[in-house]
Amino acid sequence: MSPSATAAIGSQILTLMAALMLVLQLFIIAQRRLLTNIRLFAIQSLLLAGIAAVVAFHHSASHVYLVAGLTLAGKVVLLPWLLTRLVYRIQIHQEIEPLLNAPSSMLIGGGLTLLGYVVARPFTSMERLGNNTLAIALALVLTGFFLMINRRKALTQVLALLTVENGVMLAAVALTTYGMPLVVELGIFFDVLVAVMVLAILVYRIRENFASMDTSKLNQLKG
Amino acid sequence: MSLLTPILIAPLLAGLLCLVVPSRRAMAALGVLAFATTLALGVALLREVLARGVVTEWNGFLSADALSAWMVLLISVVSFASALYAGRYFQRDIDAGVASPARVREFYVLTPLFGAGMFLVVLANNLGVMWAAVEGTALSSVLLVALYNRRNSLEAAWKYVMLGSVGLALALLGTVFVYAAACKNTPDALPSLNWSYLMSVAGGLDPHLLKLAFVFAFVGYGTKAGLAPMHTWLPDAHSEAPSPTSAMLSGVSLKIAFYALLRFHILTTACLDSPFSRRLLLVFGLLSMLLAPPFILVQRNLKRLLAYSSLEHIGLICTAIGLNTPLTILGALMHMGYHALTKPVLFFAAGNIHQAFHSLEFRRIGSGVVKVLPLTALWMGLAALAAIGLPPFGLFLSELTVLSGGLAAHETTVSALILIALVASFCGILQQLTRILLGARRPDARPIETHRLDGAPAMILLLGALLLFSVWLPTPLLDLLRQAAAIIGGQP
Repeated sequence: MSPSATAAIGSQILTLMAALMLVLQLFIIAQRRLLTNIRLFAIQSLLLAGIAAVVAFHHSASHVYLVAGLTLAGKVVLLPWLLTRLVYRIQIHQEIEPLLNAPSSMLIGGGLTLLGYVVARPFTSMERLGNNTLAIALALVLTGFFLMINRRKALTQVLALLTVENGVMLAAVALTTYGMPLVVELGIFFDVLVAVMVLAILVYRIRENFASMDTSKLNQLKG
Repeated sequence: MSLLTPILIAPLLAGLLCLVVPSRRAMAALGVLAFATTLALGVALLREVLARGVVTEWNGFLSADALSAWMVLLISVVSFASALYAGRYFQRDIDAGVASPARVREFYVLTPLFGAGMFLVVLANNLGVMWAAVEGTALSSVLLVALYNRRNSLEAAWKYVMLGSVGLALALLGTVFVYAAACKNTPDALPSLNWSYLMSVAGGLDPHLLKLAFVFAFVGYGTKAGLAPMHTWLPDAHSEAPSPTSAMLSGVSLKIAFYALLRFHILTTACLDSPFSRRLLLVFGLLSMLLAPPFILVQRNLKRLLAYSSLEHIGLICTAIGLNTPLTILGALMHMGYHALTKPVLFFAAGNIHQAFHSLEFRRIGSGVVKVLPLTALWMGLAALAAIGLPPFGLFLSELTVLSGGLAAHETTVSALILIALVASFCGILQQLTRILLGARRPDARPIETHRLDGAPAMILLLGALLLFSVWLPTPLLDLLRQAAAIIGGQP
C-alpha cells in the first residue's frame, strides 16, 4: 500500500474512533447507573488510547506510544477500578433524578455538539489526521460541562470532569503533530491521577458527614 | 552555584520529612526552616537575575527572569510567616480538640508541597509544566481547605476543587492552542512549549489561535486567580481553611495563578501587537474591584470579609496591568508585594479571634475585641489600615502609583472607577472592623480565655517588613521591579 493510502485509512480510523467517543459521551448523559457510567468512561478512554496509538503508528513517533500506554493504564484500568471501589464503599449505585430528564439532556447534548462544530470550523484546516476531530473534542468538553451541571452526585461530577479532560486530550492530538511534549503529557497524567484520588477522598468525607453525596445539599456558604 | 533547583527541593524535602518526623514541634520547625532557606535563596536569585537577566537550569527546563524572581520572594515571605504562625495555632487547635494530630500532620506535609508547587509555577520554563504545577497547587490546597472536616469546610473544598478543575481544564485547552500555534509555525520540526522559544517566535504565531488560547487561559487561570465573575469559590475557601492556609491562599496563591495568566498576556501581546488581552484584563479587573465593596459592606463573617478584600486587591492588580503603562505596571507589582505582607497578618489575627471566640461571625464576636485580645486587635487594626490604603503603608503608595499612571494615560473613567471602588471598600472595611475591634464588651458577653502573645512573631515580622519597605525600597528590589515591569510591558 502507498503511504498516502495508509494515511487515508489511519485518518478514517481516527475519525471513527473520535466519533465513537462522542457517542459514548451521549450515552453517559442519558445513563443514570453509576457503574455503567464508569464503564462507559473506561471505553471512551480506551478509544482515546487507540487514537493516540494510531497517531503514533502513523508518525512513527515512539513517545506517543507511551502516551497511549499511560492512557490505557491510567484512565482505562486504574481510575475506573478506583471509582468502582468507591461506589461499593459508599454504597450508592444510582444517580438520583438529574435536573433535566434524559430526552431533554440528549437534546442539549446535541445542541452543544453543534456548537462545538461551529466553533471548530475556522480551525479544521489545521488538523493533521482525521476529519472534525477538533469539533468532537470541543463537543466533549462542552457536554462534559453540561453533565457536571446536570448531575448532583459528587461522583458523577468527577466522571464529568474526566470526560472533559478526555476532550482536551483529543484536542491536543487533533491540533498538534504528535500530541503535547512528553514532559507535559506526564505532568497531566499524574495530575489527573492525583486529582481523582483527592476527589475520592473528598467524596468519601462528604458521604460520611452528610450521609449523602448529593452536592445540592452543599448550600450553606453564601454571600 | 545552582539556585533554582534548591528552591524547589527545600520545601519538597521538608514536606516529605514531615511524613516521618514524630514530633509536631519538629514538623513546624521543618516548615519554617524550608521557607527561610527559600527566602535566602530568593534574595540570592534576585542578585543573580539583576546581574545576568535570565537564570536557567537543567538545560533550560527551569528558568527565572525578574518577574519569576519577584514571585519567588513573595511566595517565600508569605509561606515563611505562615509556617511561623502555624506551630502555636495548631497546638491550640489540638488542645481545644478541634483538629486531630493526624490532620495536623496532613497540614505540615501538604503546606510545603503547596509551596513547592507554587515555586514550580514561577520557575518552569515550559507552559505545560506551568499548567501542571498550578494544578498541583490546587490539589494540595484543596485538602488543606478541607482540613477541619466540618460540613462547611467540605462544602468549600468541593466548590473550590470543582470550579478550579473546570477552570484548569480550560487553561489546559488554552495551552494546547498555544502549542498548536507553535506547531503550525514550524510544520517540519518539533516545536517546544518553552517560554523562551515561544517568545522568540511570537511574531510568527497564528494570531487567531493565540486569541482563542488567551480567552481559554483567561477564563481558566482567572478562575484560580479569583477574578469576578469566576470568584465564587474564593470567599468559601478562604473562610473555611485554617488561618495559616487562608493567609497563603490569599497572600500568594491568587497571585501565582495571576502570574500564569500574565505569561499568556505577555505572549498574546507580543504576537498580536493589539490591546486585545489587556482590554480583557482591564474589564474583568474593574468588575472584580467594583463587585467587592457591596459584599464587604453586607458581610457578617470576618474571614469572608477579608476574602472579598482580596478580591478587590487582585482586581486592582489586574486593572493596573490592563492599563498597561510603565507606571501602572510598576504599581501593580508593588501592590502584589505590599498586599502579600499585609493580608496574612489580617488572616493570622482572624485566626486568633476565631480560636478565642470559637466563631467568625460578627454577631458572635461582639464588640470590644481590643479589651480581651489587645495585641491581636492592634495587629489587626494596623494591617487593616494598611489594607485600606492609608499612609504611611505601602499599599497607599502603590494605589497612588496606579491612579496617577492611569490619569497620566488619560484613562479618566477607569481611574475614577478605581477610586470609587477603593473608597467604597475603605469605608466598608473600616466600618466593619471598628465595630468588632473597638468599643466595650457587652456586659453579658461570655468570658474567653486569652492568649496574649500568640502569633505575634509572624505578625510583627510582616508588619515590620511592610513598614520598612513602605518608607524605603532598596535599590536592587526597585531594579528588579523595573525589570519585571519591562517584561510585562513588552521588552524595552
